[in-house]
Amino acid sequence: MKKLGIIVALVAISLIAVQSLSAQLISGFPAANEREAQTALAAFEEADKGKPDPAWQGEKFTIGVYSAGQRGAISGPLYFWRNKFEELTGASYDIVEIPFAELREKIFTDLQTGAGRYDVIINCSNYYGDYIANNWILPIDKYFNDPRMPKWDRASIAPAVANLMKWGDRWYGTNNDHDAQVLYYRKDIINSPKWQAEFKKAKGHDMPVKMDTWEDVLEICDFFNGKDWNGDGKPDHGITLHLRVGGQGFFHFMAISAPYVVIPFPGDPPTKVTRYHNVYWFDPVTMDPLINSPGHVRALEMLIKLSKTGSPAMWGWSLGEAWADFLSGKAVMTFSWGDVGSLAEDPTQSVIMGKLGARGIPGTKAPYDLQQKKFLNLAKPNMVGNQVGCSWHPVISKYAKNPDLCYYFMAWQATAPINHWNVYMGWTGVDPGTTYDWFPPYGKATVQDYVDGGYNADDAKAFIGAFQDNFYNYKIFQNYLRIPGAPEMDEIWDVHLSEAITGQVSPKVALDRTYQDWVRIVADYGKSKLLKLYQESIGYKP
Amino acid sequence: MSSGSAFMPARSKRGLRRVLVWIVIILATCWALSPFYWAIITSFKPPGVILTKPSLIPFLQFKPTLFNWKNEYISRGREITGALANSIIIACGATLIAVSLGTMAGYGLARFRFKRWKNKDMTLWFLSQRFLPPMATAIPFFILMKTLNLLDTRWALIMANATFTLPFAVLIMRDVFKELPVELDESAMVDGASRFAIFTRIALPLAAPAVAVAAVICFAFSWNEFLFGLILTYKKAQPVTVIIAGVEHTQGIQFWFVATRLLAAILPPAVLAITAQRYIVRGLTFGAVKG
Amino acid sequence: MIAGGIRERIPPFTRGKMAKKEGAKYFFVGPGIIWVLLFTLFPLVYSLRLSFFRARLGMGQQFIWLENYGRAFTDYRFWSVLQVTVFFVVCDVALTVLLGLGLALLFHRAMRGQRFFRSIFTMPIFTAPIALGYLGLTIFHEEVGAVNTVLRALGLLHLPAWFSNPWLARIAITMVDIWQWTPFCFLVLLAGLQSLPAEVYEAAVLDTSSGWAMFRHITLPLLLPVLFTVTILRVVETFKILDIPFSLTSGGPGMATQTYSFYIYLTGLRNFNAGYASALAYLLLIVMMAISLFFFRRLRQIYE
Repeated sequence: MKKLGIIVALVAISLIAVQSLSAQLISGFPAANEREAQTALAAFEEADKGKPDPAWQGEKFTIGVYSAGQRGAISGPLYFWRNKFEELTGASYDIVEIPFAELREKIFTDLQTGAGRYDVIINCSNYYGDYIANNWILPIDKYFNDPRMPKWDRASIAPAVANLMKWGDRWYGTNNDHDAQVLYYRKDIINSPKWQAEFKKAKGHDMPVKMDTWEDVLEICDFFNGKDWNGDGKPDHGITLHLRVGGQGFFHFMAISAPYVVIPFPGDPPTKVTRYHNVYWFDPVTMDPLINSPGHVRALEMLIKLSKTGSPAMWGWSLGEAWADFLSGKAVMTFSWGDVGSLAEDPTQSVIMGKLGARGIPGTKAPYDLQQKKFLNLAKPNMVGNQVGCSWHPVISKYAKNPDLCYYFMAWQATAPINHWNVYMGWTGVDPGTTYDWFPPYGKATVQDYVDGGYNADDAKAFIGAFQDNFYNYKIFQNYLRIPGAPEMDEIWDVHLSEAITGQVSPKVALDRTYQDWVRIVADYGKSKLLKLYQESIGYKP
Repeated sequence: MSSGSAFMPARSKRGLRRVLVWIVIILATCWALSPFYWAIITSFKPPGVILTKPSLIPFLQFKPTLFNWKNEYISRGREITGALANSIIIACGATLIAVSLGTMAGYGLARFRFKRWKNKDMTLWFLSQRFLPPMATAIPFFILMKTLNLLDTRWALIMANATFTLPFAVLIMRDVFKELPVELDESAMVDGASRFAIFTRIALPLAAPAVAVAAVICFAFSWNEFLFGLILTYKKAQPVTVIIAGVEHTQGIQFWFVATRLLAAILPPAVLAITAQRYIVRGLTFGAVKG
Repeated sequence: MIAGGIRERIPPFTRGKMAKKEGAKYFFVGPGIIWVLLFTLFPLVYSLRLSFFRARLGMGQQFIWLENYGRAFTDYRFWSVLQVTVFFVVCDVALTVLLGLGLALLFHRAMRGQRFFRSIFTMPIFTAPIALGYLGLTIFHEEVGAVNTVLRALGLLHLPAWFSNPWLARIAITMVDIWQWTPFCFLVLLAGLQSLPAEVYEAAVLDTSSGWAMFRHITLPLLLPVLFTVTILRVVETFKILDIPFSLTSGGPGMATQTYSFYIYLTGLRNFNAGYASALAYLLLIVMMAISLFFFRRLRQIYE
């Protein structure tokens, strides 16, 4: 009994000790250091505070967010700014973290059964289809002129991402994160005269360092794969990708295939959505899936070729493993989200700080024209911007007991100073997408902001430059699938892509199977209902 | 307790056999412990090394650091200890209920004959509770607990886990009770003992080690239960399995936290398993009838 | 078979004057049955009813009788996940039961430190499968993982990329699963072995001193009920395997390790196609019922 008693006592003591551990507060922020608290305080002072309603004193609401902890991506800012929110309004909020892999299940169960435990939900943009179809979230237009609420600049958001916070003409979400994939590369290796000379010797022409097309990327990765270009005595990799099924691998395909499939409207504006132009997912007239078009198939073939210019294990890699390959200096290229840029500055995980190069997603000179039913041969590559990913942002559940208070918080976080602070502080996981995040001439941000946030100055320029390009210099965009059933379609598509990549079936068969599955899913939900929602979500006017 | 020692083969064979036995035991122990060793060294590796350097031996191949542990406990310490406490309460509660009800039911099925609903059918019915995959009943359970106003409480999970682990207790104890010689019971009955007294004074003490095993198994299943722990809780009653699932987020899986949380999550049950088994056995044999 | 003659299998309390005291039997099994009924009746009825409806998110429920069940048979994913699951059931159960039996026999001898080793062997079943799967990603990592580091040290040149190949992924899952569940079989079989009456052995030692013959003719037959219980429990549990494929391979590559439960999870909780998911669950129930009934009938004389 004595032994057990001692063990219990030890455990109890350590539990108590841990409970008393908490981050120290600097200027009211649970900040890691002085600089962080200083810049946060400056942002707080500058941000519009509206006029909090005195009736909100003592109120509380609940925010549902995926689980990442107090200093983690997306959930971090919620903890960080909570004290200041209490100062401002006298109200507070509970943060309920949900494991990322089960986020949608928990939220939808809550909404569907009417349990209504979450007032504000930090959600992934592709939930909107189900939200709208089931009428689960509240529009926020009515608050824009409410004097109590902080003002945030809707016009400064990159149009492609702004669309994701709206449905039709009504706004539902406020500005927060902006996801897109860009191409990252080791600029010290790609731009090194030694390797450029070797490339010329091996391939007979100059290294296409601009990497405007995927064909260029393939050539370069193929060249570097297997060579020891980082000097550690072991052969290294060309590209690294997270192709694992369920590991967000299908976003790679989404980004790579956009230029093969999405072509601009030949008139004005080039972004006009017609039956054959600026479409990617379904035929907007018949709701026939486009997913197995020759353009898609060729893009998948390209992805498979690319995946062979790196570690064979990448077919089973999820984000962590794939990024580690690049951040530890073993791969010369990758294309993924803004997280790679901010992780590259983290000395505990990266050795490539200062060596980061980045550019918008490459295109191709041979996209497929759905109208003419053939591959084109362009002089200048077809470049398509993307917003693949989630673009995490808050929405208000229809079960919220105090929607006004909820909106206050959302709008306050969306104000320019605070949102910009969240962006340049890499650990928050909030990616850039508003004019105040960009450098002149697109915006008003300075490199110093990012250096304050822990970025190497050159890396920041490359990183922000790539996103600027993606959101403002690319004429057309891949639209975002937001209809009910989208996650189900994504899941089976992901599975078939993995089958093709690992060689279990050919690319054409994989995409044909996806086509069949999508036809069935559409039929299940109701073709006419989905067609209408699809047309609304992509802005197609019949 | 071992009956194998009642006979001994020839001396030299015995020596060789013993060496072989020990080699196998050592190998098996290494096999059982190796993932824990891996988790321990991973938790002490700097994050950048985990996926980039093959390293099995600390100090020789990598520099151990307390970085991950510090990080984890400063930023998530409260949640993790809270979740551990929840898990302990839930698993203990569920095990208590499951083992008590299950042992009695196992005894009943082993010793009595049921006419209307046959023994083997009843056993099959208990077993069939394990047939349905948990997610089939996740949503109705959610609705049930919502109606009872028990969402996000430990009681909800105690009751759910007791229900799910009861069949283990029933099946295991039934077999063990069947193995016990019936003559003991009969002689006690002749002496005028009641059914329940026979159960507590004769059958239970003899089957005590098996009860400990059933308790360990019910505890393990309740401890590792994930789906209902996720669905039925929001924040207050979150078990440690949900916290473990939280290692994955949009930037991938944080492997260093996988290691720390795996080790944190195995500590309470390991301690309980090692210490409690002895006390369960002792407690049950306390009222044993000697001879 | 000696076992048949050793003891009576008919419970004693139904003989003669004891029969009148049968009331006690309800006292023993009653609470357990009531508890289970209380908590499973509503969920079972609810989910069974749901399986006869088309019930997708945002759409009203439509009664479609057996259409969900019929659809399963034309669903290529249904057959794929069934095959994968049967593979795991066969491999896992065979290996865990055999290994568990071997370990139990090993530890059944009197020796020092037995309790210590038994405690060590209990630890794997307390490991949360999700954590184990995620840890497995680092263990099976092609370059830095423990497995490949060892293989490299042994001289293997072409290191396997465990999650890039369907069969390697399946083997990886089997390895992890066996590690976790052999202790379960071990513990239960050991408990069974230790409850065997000692007189049997004392009687047998007069007849033979061969360990193998002892095992075959005495231990094994007496152990058969427990062995059977362990096997059927493992079969039932492995049919529902989800956590390890979920975290270790996410069902990949492609659908190579997507198990039946995984498919039900995706259908029911990810895609909120609740009707079809329920139907799939009940189809599994029917399969498992069939297997259990088959076992029960075959081994009736042992399992009475």
